Amino acid sequence: MLLNRLKAGGPAIAKQGILVAFILFMIVFSFMSDRFLTPDNIMSVFRQSAIIGVMALGVTIVVIGGNLDLSVGSMLSFATVLVVDLHDKVGPELAIPIMVLATLCLGAINGFLIGILRLNSLIVTLGMLSAIQGLVLIYSGGQNVDIVDQRGTWFAIFGRGSVLGIAAPIIIFGLLAILFHVIMTTTPFGRKVYAVGGNPTASVFSGIPRSRIVFTTYLISALCVAVAAIILGSRVMGSQNNVGQGYELQVLAAVILGGTSLLGGAGSILKTVLGVLMLAFIQNGLILMGQPYYTQWLVTWVVIIVAVWLDVAAKRGRLFSPIA
Amino acid sequence: MNKTMRILLASCGTLALATAASADTVRIGITQNNVGIDSYQTTYERAFIAAAEANPDVEVIVLDAGGDVARQISQMQDLIQQQVDAIIIWPTDGQALVPAVRNAHNAGIPVVVTNSNIAEAGMDFIAAFSGPNNIQQGIYSAEMMCDALGGEGQIVQITGMPGYTTAIERQQGFDERLAEMCPDVTQLDIQPGDWNRERAQRTMETFLTRFDTIDGVYSGDDNMGVGALNAAIDAGRAEGMVFIGATNFAVGYDAMARGEYWGSVYQSPVDDAEAALQTALDVLAGEDVPKLNYFDTPKITQENMDEFDRPVF
Repeated sequence: MLLNRLKAGGPAIAKQGILVAFILFMIVFSFMSDRFLTPDNIMSVFRQSAIIGVMALGVTIVVIGGNLDLSVGSMLSFATVLVVDLHDKVGPELAIPIMVLATLCLGAINGFLIGILRLNSLIVTLGMLSAIQGLVLIYSGGQNVDIVDQRGTWFAIFGRGSVLGIAAPIIIFGLLAILFHVIMTTTPFGRKVYAVGGNPTASVFSGIPRSRIVFTTYLISALCVAVAAIILGSRVMGSQNNVGQGYELQVLAAVILGGTSLLGGAGSILKTVLGVLMLAFIQNGLILMGQPYYTQWLVTWVVIIVAVWLDVAAKRGRLFSPIA
Repeated sequence: MNKTMRILLASCGTLALATAASADTVRIGITQNNVGIDSYQTTYERAFIAAAEANPDVEVIVLDAGGDVARQISQMQDLIQQQVDAIIIWPTDGQALVPAVRNAHNAGIPVVVTNSNIAEAGMDFIAAFSGPNNIQQGIYSAEMMCDALGGEGQIVQITGMPGYTTAIERQQGFDERLAEMCPDVTQLDIQPGDWNRERAQRTMETFLTRFDTIDGVYSGDDNMGVGALNAAIDAGRAEGMVFIGATNFAVGYDAMARGEYWGSVYQSPVDDAEAALQTALDVLAGEDVPKLNYFDTPKITQENMDEFDRPVF
């Protein structure tokens, strides 16, 4: 009787593994540092998580569609260098659209190679990771770019502005998260992405234009990178050539932590948001506790592996599962 | 018969001429770490080529490892095969390049290490090291911090990428000198900023949440220092906070001119490149060159910044 109840209830709790872990983690940390749950700190972490967060939204959609995108890190370097460099040359009102278009072109290349030509997404985006980094270095000649008039430009609102006391990056991240959540859960496009990622062959037999759907997911991912670049450029008011280096792994970590299946067809935008916040709170909390940096690497990846384990356990219906 | 003789004679003549020419000019090969990854290395390469072109007796072969250890090892082999007169190397990895440097040494080619030094095990195989003294830079930063704070206060430190020699040495110099010169300045915490301005900005935001009083910030380079400054300005707490950096960047120079940034250490990639070439030439000229050749990296503060050009990076 009790065993049956556990079997029925266990998976239900495990399905919300990330939420449970998140709450437990917040409680433990709040006991260890009295600054952790203050409104100031929570706002600060939300703001810090916005750049990775916006990128993770796009990558979540790509992954639900059954593919990977490892090129977002160097794409972020590209977009940030471009928008910051053009800011002083042609002004922000032109720099932003030019940068968005150029970044969408990179997304279209990804989409064409993976969606239309059906090349393996891991190989293509890994290649694009290096190729785009090379492009950035050619464009900038290795020089850092900076916005000279940091205080006077309206470009500052994206990274430093606020509405009703809420920082602009949080608002942008929040609105995009809601938008993509609605798109993925209520529109035909959203359902088609799930179908393509879940069973590509069946989706084609059902008349879903698989190539076009995959192509579009990469455009969305590139668009998210462009938005993240605006926040980053505005927040830092300058850019290094390799500013986004390694961000692709943090993004992917957040997506995985949110329970989106790397096999495609399953996942949720809102849970990715939870994954993003949890990673940001881990990094913040460990510094608040005065822990050395290497504990961040350790704790972050232990948390991710445990979360993935819980996720798999939920699908199998038990925690320990021998090969069968 | 006659024709063959003439050809032989002609080729001998050409050979003699070629030897005569190469007796005057020296061929120096350089394999760099990762040109293009940052402004410092890009400017370094340009300055190096310019310095070599300005000297008619020098012919240089300029290579770049692109940050790849394996590629740099094969570039070392190529340079040994080409029998250059000297090799300058900016190691991608101080430890992994030791065998390649030893091969050059065994082939009779002197090796000058530039910018960041080779591991201790390789010191016997190099002719000389030329570059900045990062421990000394940390010491300078500590001294500026003590002066600015009047010997008393609470500070935080944002270091470079964990594991990088430059980051480790600067921190070492700073920590030791600070404790010795002004024991009343306490370090609240030390966290990495990974040479990344955005990362440093995030680290500083968390410091600001955690500590109610921060009197000073030491950053491993100005790029991170300006990130920390941004965070403090956003939080409305930059007033009266002392920012000290290292490797003066243009953004740091500008912030200094605005009075927001206290001081840094001036390190010119042009000086770095010219010192490397000069060291190699001195070695080839048979001069008695010391093992460690540091070029000058002076303190730069709001007071004396007029004496320095705005950095190009």
